[in-house]
Amino acid sequence: MAHRRCLLSLARHATAIISQKKMPPLSAVEVLTRKPNPAITIPNSELSWFSFWSHSRHFSSSKSEDSETEVEVEMEEASDVEAENDNAASDLGRDYSPEEKEAEAVAIGYKIGSHQFKVSNGDSIFTERLKFCEVNDKLILNKVLLLGSPTQTIIGRPILPDAAVHAVVEEHALDAKVIIFKKKRRKNYRRTKGHRQELTKLRITDIQGIEKQEIKTDGKPLKAAVKNPEKIAAAV
Amino acid sequence: MALRGVWQLKKLIVSYCDWGGSSRGIRAFMESELPTFKEKNPQLEVVPELIRGQHPHLKGFYKNKNERVVCVKNMTPEDILLYATRLRNALGRKVVKLKTRHVTKHPSVQGTWTTDVKF
Repeated sequence: MAHRRCLLSLARHATAIISQKKMPPLSAVEVLTRKPNPAITIPNSELSWFSFWSHSRHFSSSKSEDSETEVEVEMEEASDVEAENDNAASDLGRDYSPEEKEAEAVAIGYKIGSHQFKVSNGDSIFTERLKFCEVNDKLILNKVLLLGSPTQTIIGRPILPDAAVHAVVEEHALDAKVIIFKKKRRKNYRRTKGHRQELTKLRITDIQGIEKQEIKTDGKPLKAAVKNPEKIAAAV
Repeated sequence: MALRGVWQLKKLIVSYCDWGGSSRGIRAFMESELPTFKEKNPQLEVVPELIRGQHPHLKGFYKNKNERVVCVKNMTPEDILLYATRLRNALGRKVVKLKTRHVTKHPSVQGTWTTDVKF
């Protein structure tokens, strides 16, 4: 069933560029799923063109080192306030923006909450508190699983090496208090504990690794029914 | 506490008492750590205020006209610095339970799937 879905998605998209292991180029090789299996040959004539590149596999431990150095190098102080304002102004004008799923693993060695988010430009994310960054710091998150735009999808196995997401730390705040209440009935046991979780709010400013398109509409984002004729026309 | 690069905490009022014992920590804070805190945040207006006979507190005024009051009675200067930093780091929004952890204006880039979508 996953294969059928893959075929359908291939027929739908104009291109699907997928990163894969080093393989000798074959005639029609398309790797679709995230399974570490070799490619599935799709004899689909509806594909207008395809391309692939090979790259070396990055292991997660070295990746976290890379991300650590990148984060420490890229963190900038409040002098970026003006840059941030410009970014924010241009973000609001974008109707379509690349989305991507990202594994929040910027911090040194461990995953932030080990959660994955699907973000686009200009939205905010609440994660566990990041200890090493102050407010108004820029972060670069590079464990990116998937990049998507209205015409293109790039799937990583499991991460994309050249993709990056720029985010700015907006606030470090405490969540609302939750009361943890334990009781065992008829045993005279009752405990009440209050807990406030520390959170960090990140605002996504930029997504790199995919070409972006700015389609200026009248302000309302197009619905799926209108978009599909566009895409089918582009594919054929 | 910076919404799109703009700091949200405008003013911090440090209220203390010069006689009471619960203000001991905040008096030490004002001598030792308040000047460095002021220099680190030049955009913030820190105002010391004397209230005799009452417990000390920190009042933070945010840009969305929200006020947050933290009582710092019987606290050490390090704790008071932590609370002051927390006030500076936070936005002025009301502390409620989060509905979602991901706030977005573009929930779908390639179009939301409905049953009418044909691939």
